[in-house]
Amino acid sequence: ETLKLSHQWSEGDVRHQVAQMVADEVKAANVDLEIQIFPNQTLFKAREQYTPLSRGQLDMTIFPLSYAGGQQPAYNLTLMPGLVKNHDHAARLSASPFMAKIEDIMTGDDVKTLVHGYLAGGFGSNKGCITKPADVQGVTIRAAGKSFEEMLAGAGASISSMASSEIYSALQTGVLDATNTSSESFLSYRLYEQLKCYTPAGETALWFMYQPLLINKTTFDGLSAEQQKALTDASAKAEAWYLEQAKAGDAVTTKAFADAGVEIAEMTQADFDAWRELAKTTSYPSFAASVEGGQELLDMALSVE
Amino acid sequence: MVSTAFGVAASLMIFASVLITCHMIFVRGVLGQSTIWQTEAVIYLMIGATLLGLPYVQRLRGHVGVDLLPQLIPPAARRVLAVVVMLSTIAMIAAMVWYGWEMFHLAWKRGWKSESVWAFPLWITYLSVPLGFALYLLQLLADLWLASFGPSDELPEPHPERSPD
Amino acid sequence: MDPLTLGLLVAIATVVVLFSGVSVAVGLLIVATLFLWIFDGPRALEALPELFYAELNSFALLSIPMFIIMGAAIASTRAGPDLYEALERWLTKVPGGLVVSNLGACALFAAMSGSSPATCAAIGKMGIPEMRRRGYPPEVAAGSIAAGGTLGILIPPSVTMIVYGIATETSIGRLFLAGVLPGILLTLLFIAWAIFDTWRRGAASAALVSARYSWRQRFEILPRVLPFLAIIAGVLYALYGGVATPSETAAVGAMLCILAAIVIYRMFSGRDLWVVLRDSTRESVMILFIIGAAGVFSFMLSSLVVTQSVAQYIAALDVNRWVLMAVINLFLLVAGFFLPPVAVILMSAPILLPIITAAGFDPYWFAVIVTINMEIGLITPPVGLNLYVINGIAPDITLRQILVGSMPFVGCMILAIILMCIFPGLATWLPEAVMGVAI
Ligand code: NA
Ligand code: NA
Repeated sequence: ETLKLSHQWSEGDVRHQVAQMVADEVKAANVDLEIQIFPNQTLFKAREQYTPLSRGQLDMTIFPLSYAGGQQPAYNLTLMPGLVKNHDHAARLSASPFMAKIEDIMTGDDVKTLVHGYLAGGFGSNKGCITKPADVQGVTIRAAGKSFEEMLAGAGASISSMASSEIYSALQTGVLDATNTSSESFLSYRLYEQLKCYTPAGETALWFMYQPLLINKTTFDGLSAEQQKALTDASAKAEAWYLEQAKAGDAVTTKAFADAGVEIAEMTQADFDAWRELAKTTSYPSFAASVEGGQELLDMALSVE
Repeated sequence: MVSTAFGVAASLMIFASVLITCHMIFVRGVLGQSTIWQTEAVIYLMIGATLLGLPYVQRLRGHVGVDLLPQLIPPAARRVLAVVVMLSTIAMIAAMVWYGWEMFHLAWKRGWKSESVWAFPLWITYLSVPLGFALYLLQLLADLWLASFGPSDELPEPHPERSPD
Repeated sequence: MDPLTLGLLVAIATVVVLFSGVSVAVGLLIVATLFLWIFDGPRALEALPELFYAELNSFALLSIPMFIIMGAAIASTRAGPDLYEALERWLTKVPGGLVVSNLGACALFAAMSGSSPATCAAIGKMGIPEMRRRGYPPEVAAGSIAAGGTLGILIPPSVTMIVYGIATETSIGRLFLAGVLPGILLTLLFIAWAIFDTWRRGAASAALVSARYSWRQRFEILPRVLPFLAIIAGVLYALYGGVATPSETAAVGAMLCILAAIVIYRMFSGRDLWVVLRDSTRESVMILFIIGAAGVFSFMLSSLVVTQSVAQYIAALDVNRWVLMAVINLFLLVAGFFLPPVAVILMSAPILLPIITAAGFDPYWFAVIVTINMEIGLITPPVGLNLYVINGIAPDITLRQILVGSMPFVGCMILAIILMCIFPGLATWLPEAVMGVAI
């Protein structure tokens, strides 16, 4: 039996490697199960994976869950400023009752999580360094994620929405002053060629995005017990590796920026707290208002130590 | 008539995209303010214009095809081929209407929104899929009628520049 | 079934279906649907409209109607004839001056229009009757305009480059720059041929009436070309001056052209504006429909692992890279005979790109090669959009005459492809000089 796994990244990306690892392990288990990977949006477009997954037209995907925030507003919590402090905290969040609640919602869409994982990101700017809210005053910025846009707008930034593929030329020509995205995107779009200052994800970081490996639940339930076990064993192994790679990825990006002569700024605990205070008056209330029981869900997430 | 009306609508949607994009550039570049909804609005307008424009372009015979074979065969066979092509086209478009309706219905029933700050209700843009293809289907049925029972000089030709418009 | 055999089946089915005379977009949908149904099961059909929708769900596609509007708006004014007349007054002493003027006007017009049929129509409406009035044979008149019009997709902006950029995820700004020098090269080759052809005809061409112009007449027409240059400057400023992203620039251009048509060329009537919008809408919807359908088609190829297998198969053949390039060119040429450029690019780029990058070719250089092949396709039957346009302008010129007239220009295009292979820097130098080494 063959399962189709689709994702949006190139074959060098850590997320492809996670998928590849699961595919290799499952194949090695010899349980008559094969996973065929379609990278680079060769099957479904980047943001269009969730609907086919939930309808069973696609078997598996690695997917930033917040992309489906328009269908399930609760998923917006998986890309919420100040919710995650660092990668270890992210791992604890993945194992918390909060994530169990999110998984309940996924079950309603016939989707099941195999591998948990968060990736971090930072800020890059051509108008000074961005570490605290005051730094984005009057800056034209492209932010990844609805909640981040709300928070940055609250800090006086002007938000510009555009496709991630246009960030490079927008920074080059000055259409954009700054951007906020994942470490992996900063690197793969070679934004160090266009940025003057980079604020990486370090000891504390603001930008964390949940990007799990998902499977259609009906498909999973239809597998034999051995196949299911092979899949979950492979996933457990991949999850540990994903966490390591996520930590390493931030350092790789920071080094690339430093090597390119880009100034590296650092976000202090005080800066982080200032952003979080801002989020409490912007993104958080907006989220709580958008979902039934949103406040409760938010509190669950915030209570994870 | 209906096709032309939607053709006008499609043209206006394209024109609106010009204005909205210029508005976005102005707001961002000159006023230095946030541009939240414009990019998305333009995408939805383009999708809408494409789908709602289908019947109009069909009426103008503006959809290109390879007409080498139909021109080589005798008129009687050409008519049969034209009808076969029409019927397959109709079946294909009918499938798009059917599944397009399902897609729209799902988005509408579950209240799906775009994942941006704007949170645009997706059923509106999804509706253009079944609606556009349904109108296209109607135009095709009218053309089929013409191809089967109309005088032979009114056989639909696939070239835009030779259309009677 | 083995994916390669499946691929062959898909290819045969596609040819058969498209030759039936069905429209290209619907043909692609039909083939995709049949294969998905048979090999992925009936459930795959549920995803059809979503795939179609997803393919159109891209801001970059906005530039297609925008660049078409630019051409249509300007084509509806006197700008084309003005441009053409200005060149004519200056070039009247050159052998074959009228043909050279037409080709030059096509090239300049191409710098504003993203579509070849639009370029062809804008210059041809005045150029073809004028050439024939002055005694040029119908073959030369029609052939030079048909060929000159194809420059519309090589000289930026270009609708097919946008489609290539979207299909291969390459930078559209960079693709545009890659087209500049090859566009100039091809224009020069066309002009060189026109001059040589007139000289070769020698005595016969003595009959041609060469108009005489005073220097005063030559200078007084120049201001009428200014709006034209202003629009090009405006678009370039928007693109490289930090005003707009490449996709947004197209809308700035469309706006400038509409404004120029109204303010400078006094096109006040709503009816004229409607004609511009109607023609643009017709061409845009036709192209966007093919794009959506091609999205479904390439999903089918990918889902049945045909794309990946063909790419792997060819990579494993390990032939000489230039043999490979020759085969690819032949394929593009034949595909271009039958299909409109957008369809060829959308169907083949996802398969070809991994192959050519693996063989060490530059994707931006390859875009230019593809584009020149598509230019040839525009003036060859059975599907040659420019042929239809010429047919609309001069219904009494037969298809055979147009073909005879454009054959030498096809030769120029093939020569350009060969030159591009020998000097790849023609395509790669400018983008690298302006934007740095490619990502
Ligand atoms: Na052009
Ligand atoms: Na052709």
